[in-house]
Amino acid sequence: MNIVCCLKSVLLTAPEGPVVRSADLSDLNPFDRPVIETALRLREEAGGCITALSMGPPAAADALRQALALGADRAVLLCDRALAGADTLATSTALAAAVARLAPYDLLLFGTRTSDSDTGQVGPQTAVRLGLPLVTWVHALERTASGFVAERRADSFRERFAVTLPAALTIHPAACIPRDETLAGIDAAYEHGAIETWGLDALGCDPAEVGEAGSPTRVVSLAKKTRDRKCELLTGAGEEVAEALVRTLADRGLIG
Amino acid sequence: MNTFLTDKNRAVRRAARAFCEREIAPIAKQIDQEASFPWEVADKMGRLGYFGIQAPKALGGAELDTASYVLIIEEISRASGGLGLCVTVHNSVAVAPLLAFGTEAQKQRWIPPLARGEKIGAFCLTEPNAGSDASGIEATALKDGDHYCVNAGKVLVTNGGIADICLIFARTDPRAGRRGISVIVAERGTPGFSVGDLEDLCGMRANPVSSIRLTDCRISVGNRLGREGMGLAIGLAALDTGRIGIAAQAVGIARAALEESVRYAKARRQFGVPIARHQSIQQMIADMATDLDAARLMVLRAAVRRDRGEPFSQASAMAKLHASEAAMRITDHAVQIHGGYGYSKAYPVERYWRDARVTRIYEGTSEIHRMVIARGVLGD
Repeated sequence: MNIVCCLKSVLLTAPEGPVVRSADLSDLNPFDRPVIETALRLREEAGGCITALSMGPPAAADALRQALALGADRAVLLCDRALAGADTLATSTALAAAVARLAPYDLLLFGTRTSDSDTGQVGPQTAVRLGLPLVTWVHALERTASGFVAERRADSFRERFAVTLPAALTIHPAACIPRDETLAGIDAAYEHGAIETWGLDALGCDPAEVGEAGSPTRVVSLAKKTRDRKCELLTGAGEEVAEALVRTLADRGLIG
Repeated sequence: MNTFLTDKNRAVRRAARAFCEREIAPIAKQIDQEASFPWEVADKMGRLGYFGIQAPKALGGAELDTASYVLIIEEISRASGGLGLCVTVHNSVAVAPLLAFGTEAQKQRWIPPLARGEKIGAFCLTEPNAGSDASGIEATALKDGDHYCVNAGKVLVTNGGIADICLIFARTDPRAGRRGISVIVAERGTPGFSVGDLEDLCGMRANPVSSIRLTDCRISVGNRLGREGMGLAIGLAALDTGRIGIAAQAVGIARAALEESVRYAKARRQFGVPIARHQSIQQMIADMATDLDAARLMVLRAAVRRDRGEPFSQASAMAKLHASEAAMRITDHAVQIHGGYGYSKAYPVERYWRDARVTRIYEGTSEIHRMVIARGVLGD
């Protein structure tokens, strides 16, 4: 079972100006941890190789090292000035080119979203680029003779899909509880783990289709959102306070 | 501060912080109030390598550097001083001296279960009449063929209630004074080995501190660490490393106190504004932050010197003295900033204050540290 996990190094706090990605300000996307956990469990059952794949500046290597510390076998970072400024479409184009180079593989796994841009588009778009069957929001996987039955949960539905391999899946954050890195794992990831860095040449992509050049999306503006919170203290006897609370909530249309 | 840190150090800190915030911080108040040791969390920490931070990989450890070690102790102690104490004592004055002075066979026997956290280590030096003056030890280990007959009454043993492997300082030659003390490794379960009642302490209550008594306990000569008479040298070497850990612990507790104070000062309003807007509070916050930063830098310097193989005894003594005294000042300010609430168990700062207090006492009091530091400075 060869599995490719697509991971993202996310920003920990919203930028106040131009985005500078440094290791201290970044972390592995928390929604990608269940992806790695799913891959590790599949490898424990069936053996094989887990490749962690990411696109980003050199600082993104830290997220890949977290994957190595958790037990991934191989780590590939797509890193090239020409890939910078990519929107989700251009990111998917570059990732698809890299995944094609990593063939043969059985599963291509993604998180459902990222904590810093939250589009949820990269997994599905990459699957489409590669012509792979895709199941999103996968909660559980069951092995069958020809592949997997993937259980997807959305709203109040539980859907089961028979999937043939190779296939792409986005893994629901609640699919499993991700493990922690062991200290020895972290040591090994930094002392012995290799990050393969692939540039545009290695991917064989048209420069016009990746990075800012290949991105049809234009962000008009980016501003930090501040939440205004108001605190009102209701005083009086228990019953009066309860009534006042219900009245206040009803007046504001928060309860019916 | 990051100048000292490698990418690996930062990765270790990130992993430790995430674990401590998720697993330890939520139970810290409870284990303090109930004076209970959190076995469930400790088991997880054992599997992740927190009980063999610097032990070689071949013996089941993580083989990390001292800088990583102090970052981990800071993170654990920020969440729970009592659990930080368990981990630092286990690693630095039980595992470290076994690694430094043990024979290959002794390391093969004791280190793997200690490094995996399946067994807990303790350092048993203190006696009712031997504290700062370690040469006052009255415990005896008298040779009888291929065994020692050990009689010891050790008190205030950190991890005492849960320790499996104890480094016992005892006189193998009662007439040889300071040179007559040796280290005998006693294992729980040996006939004559008994654990006393847990101490009802002011702080660090999650740590099962107790007395340990050995009565006519027959222990193989093969359990002696180093040569006969090396006891005090082993003890002092262990404490050099141990002090870095205690200093890191003080930094962790102080950081928790500062963070809590900043949060509170921004939320608590008096005279129509958050109290953080008042200069008197700002002065305290500035002193706390500066004290903390200096302490952390000193701890890291001692750690880095140890990693580079440079002499670190003076640096670790200074780090321990400053960090523990700073932690006391910082936690005291934290209580003051919280006012009446700071004195209540409803807020965590009184716990930080209680936990910080003992860092000025154990593994060498501040007074002993000043004596050691002055000796170094004066060249006596």
